[in-house]
Amino acid sequence: MMTTSRTGYRALSAGTLLLMAASTMADAPDTSEWVCEYCPFAEGHSADFRLGVSSVSDDSAYLGDANGYDDKGAYANVDGEGRYASDGYRVQWEVADLGLDSRRAHVEAGRPGVYEINVSWRDIPRRRFDTSSSIFQNSTNGDLLLPGGWAPAPLTSQFTALDASLTPRPIQSDRRILELGGRYQLPNQFSISAELRRQQYDGLKIAGGSTFSNASLLPASFDYTTDSVDLGLRYDAESGFVLLGWHLSDFESSDAATRWQQPFSFSAPLGTDTLLRAQPPDNQFQQLTLSGGYSMPRYRTVISASAALGNIDQDAGFLAYTTNPALNPAPLPRNSLGGDVDTTNLAFALSTRPIRKSRVNLSYRFDKRDNKTPEALWERVIVDSVLSGDAEMNTPYSFERGKLKLSADYDLFDTVRVSGGYDRVDTDRDNQEVKSQSEDTGWGRVRWRPTSSLEIDTRGGVSERDIDQYNESVALSFDQNPVLRKYNLAYRYRRFGELRFSWSPSELPLAISISGLQAEDEYTQSRLGLLSGDELSVTADVSWTISDTKSLFVNSGFEKLESRQAGSEQFASEDWRASHDDEFTLYGAGLRLRQLGGAVDLTLDYSRSEGESKIRIDTPGAAADQFPSLTSSFDFFRLKLDWRRSTTLSLGIDVRYQQFETADWSLDGVSPSAIPVILSLGARPYDDDALIVGIGFSYRLGNKNP
Amino acid sequence: MRIFALLMATVLLLTVAVSNVRGQDSEYSRKGADTCLSCHDNATTLAIFKTKHAVPSDARGPFGHGQLQCEACHGPGDSHAGRVRRGAERPAIFAFHPGSVASIEAQNGMCLDCHSNDVGFGWHNGAHPSDELACSDCHTSHAAVDAVQQVATQVEVCGNCHQRQRNDTLKAFGHPLFDDKMTCTGCHSTHADDASNIMARQTLNDTCVDCHAEKRGPFLWEHAPVSEDCGLCHAAHGSNHSGMLTKRAPLLCQGCHAQAGHPSIAYGTDGLASDLPSQYLLGQSCMNCHSQVHGSNHLSGSKLMR
Repeated sequence: MMTTSRTGYRALSAGTLLLMAASTMADAPDTSEWVCEYCPFAEGHSADFRLGVSSVSDDSAYLGDANGYDDKGAYANVDGEGRYASDGYRVQWEVADLGLDSRRAHVEAGRPGVYEINVSWRDIPRRRFDTSSSIFQNSTNGDLLLPGGWAPAPLTSQFTALDASLTPRPIQSDRRILELGGRYQLPNQFSISAELRRQQYDGLKIAGGSTFSNASLLPASFDYTTDSVDLGLRYDAESGFVLLGWHLSDFESSDAATRWQQPFSFSAPLGTDTLLRAQPPDNQFQQLTLSGGYSMPRYRTVISASAALGNIDQDAGFLAYTTNPALNPAPLPRNSLGGDVDTTNLAFALSTRPIRKSRVNLSYRFDKRDNKTPEALWERVIVDSVLSGDAEMNTPYSFERGKLKLSADYDLFDTVRVSGGYDRVDTDRDNQEVKSQSEDTGWGRVRWRPTSSLEIDTRGGVSERDIDQYNESVALSFDQNPVLRKYNLAYRYRRFGELRFSWSPSELPLAISISGLQAEDEYTQSRLGLLSGDELSVTADVSWTISDTKSLFVNSGFEKLESRQAGSEQFASEDWRASHDDEFTLYGAGLRLRQLGGAVDLTLDYSRSEGESKIRIDTPGAAADQFPSLTSSFDFFRLKLDWRRSTTLSLGIDVRYQQFETADWSLDGVSPSAIPVILSLGARPYDDDALIVGIGFSYRLGNKNP
Repeated sequence: MRIFALLMATVLLLTVAVSNVRGQDSEYSRKGADTCLSCHDNATTLAIFKTKHAVPSDARGPFGHGQLQCEACHGPGDSHAGRVRRGAERPAIFAFHPGSVASIEAQNGMCLDCHSNDVGFGWHNGAHPSDELACSDCHTSHAAVDAVQQVATQVEVCGNCHQRQRNDTLKAFGHPLFDDKMTCTGCHSTHADDASNIMARQTLNDTCVDCHAEKRGPFLWEHAPVSEDCGLCHAAHGSNHSGMLTKRAPLLCQGCHAQAGHPSIAYGTDGLASDLPSQYLLGQSCMNCHSQVHGSNHLSGSKLMR
């Protein structure tokens, strides 16, 4: 009887185990008859082209920044995308804004699982000011020359030829990026990859050309080229991978210097008319990286690690000490910097689930910048006029930073997850006021999901950044007030809290998400410099899926950044304070209507963003000095309508209205001669609006199914 | 012994019950994708045949020779596809959406079964899985074009959760994210582990100088914070201030510079253009003269003026 019972129990047990196993996994099926006859595999080609014309109502650098619509007038444009597939080979391409300065093209092709290649081109126009003007004229070699008949004077108000000499000089640039990439799957789980990129970046930027106590804001031309290469050799195993990578970035500036003729006159002549300002030096960065990951399902643990060794080399030839032939500084210690920086980056991360319902994450990162550039004494020539008499030593900055992060999650109940963590950052620096500092952060988090559609997530914590010593002798060596505490080197106590609420009930077509964040920084051991910084941020999004073809969304946000700092005019203790408060508010809404009348898609977007910055100076014994608010507002409205006339032809209308206004006392009323000792470019605060109306049609080619 | 039998019987019943609740089929369908497509023949579903997931010649892919087709990702579907008694609920299939019978971990596990190495193992240690994010919250595997991988739509997808950063793109000065000329992944490696700070390159600065290589140096005259952390002065997602500065000059500069003379003066409204225009306040403020704030390679550039 006992034996029979045992046998029965064993059978019951085995059956249970088998059923348990079967409930979670199935035997591999016989797929020999899975012919996939209903599968519409991609085969053939198709292409969609959109041809259109647009009209822009007004010139605006700001509103045309990045999108290419910066000039008033008409634009012709071409967009398109297409695919080709045959016998396992695939090609996919896209072109956008071909008629604009923001054109983009991308092609990728290959045989999935074997090789892939891609080529892309992007133009990014950056437009900053179109209200700027300058007296300087470019010579053929790029030098900035004074106009004929220019009469130098000590103050801008005395430039008699100023108004007649000003010509518009828009501050703008263009970035052109060409990328080539590819990946090839080798036998035995190896693969190789390569990415090549060339960035051409040129245009005009504002450069301060200073002399003794005056300066000219120069429309300085620049022409940079950065070539980069990334090569990778990868081995994939069932439980992990190893990747060996090499990165090269090579930067070249076509000009070593910006040269300009001095428009000011001095009681004691400088001794030279042409002054120099260095352009960024050519440099090269190489980095070798070994990274990998390994999964240990048995221990429910995953690890990843990487090690990168790099070097920055900068050995561009120096400019001369001075353009003034009357000065004879000491010989150069060497003809180029011999700039040499080694970088080391190590990272390790572990994620494990030691017990059910839990997760523990551990990560450590070490970054080192070891600037081995040799130090030397350099004679300083003050604005090409006089020898300073002192030799100055260059200061190469190095640092090491170690960052430890430990966190754990635990599902306390099915609906509640609690988390906690500890972070520590240790930083060591050379040649700065603080040699060693550490920051400890502790945080906790509770997430409550009472239903699958509702989540409330709270997080809060504190962090304390401490320093070993603020070395005032280092501060004094830079002529700094020794009482000052630089904000990135100062003791800091931070409190932060965050709340997120999201609700997307399955029975209603609504999704609501609200979040809030508050952080307070106190620099309690600083008497000069930054004293406090507070941040408050709130966002709210609502989306309403009215039907499969209709949806509406509304979003909004508010942010406030406040800071207080102290200064000392007397090079002693605090004798003034300043507050700097930024606010930012955003409202946005959008409507999507698809297949209206079966053939029309309508997209409607509107957003308004407002920025305001308030600055106040408080000096004991005087009334608070409140600056006029710095404000900006950006309105954006867009209506897009697509009408499908047939399976191959669509007509479209695209209407955009944008308005950007600023009040900015740093530009307002600052004509080229407004500041007695600064010849500015006279750029005005933005007050732009533009209506862009585009019409076009799209046509589909190809009748197969790629 | 009776207790043991009772226990095992209970486990058996529970197992059957759980199996039904979770809707996990134990058998694959008879005809694979043809079984599925006999019902799921809508355009959204069929779009997968325009993607890399459905390339018969790719032996690794779900539709490669001998692979499990739809059921490679959706699991065995025989009972889901089979007859259902009148009034009974059709057993659910393993799906990738918030209401799925499969847990988020199981959904992600299904994707990672094939993409673990592509994603990199750092994913497990990052913030996204800790936040219980499903792969399908960002990726649309059936769509012919995955929006999160497209220049024109990525910012919108990321911004669904990262609302503060999305809002920042509408601040007066920022990278051209609002115009879809840059992507979040241009700077961020979204699958990376916590140790990497999810930056595309090893550090924040390495990431910034990937495009702004003219600021990489090393310069003869360095500006100490520049070589350490661009974020000390710049707000990369957007700012009220030109140059994406975190604060207006001269106050930004005076947070670190308090030398005797002009760096430590409290510049007030008497320096505005309407009063006594100040070269320390107006135009480029400190940068009117010290315009080489990222470093200078000029021999006489120790004050970052040349």
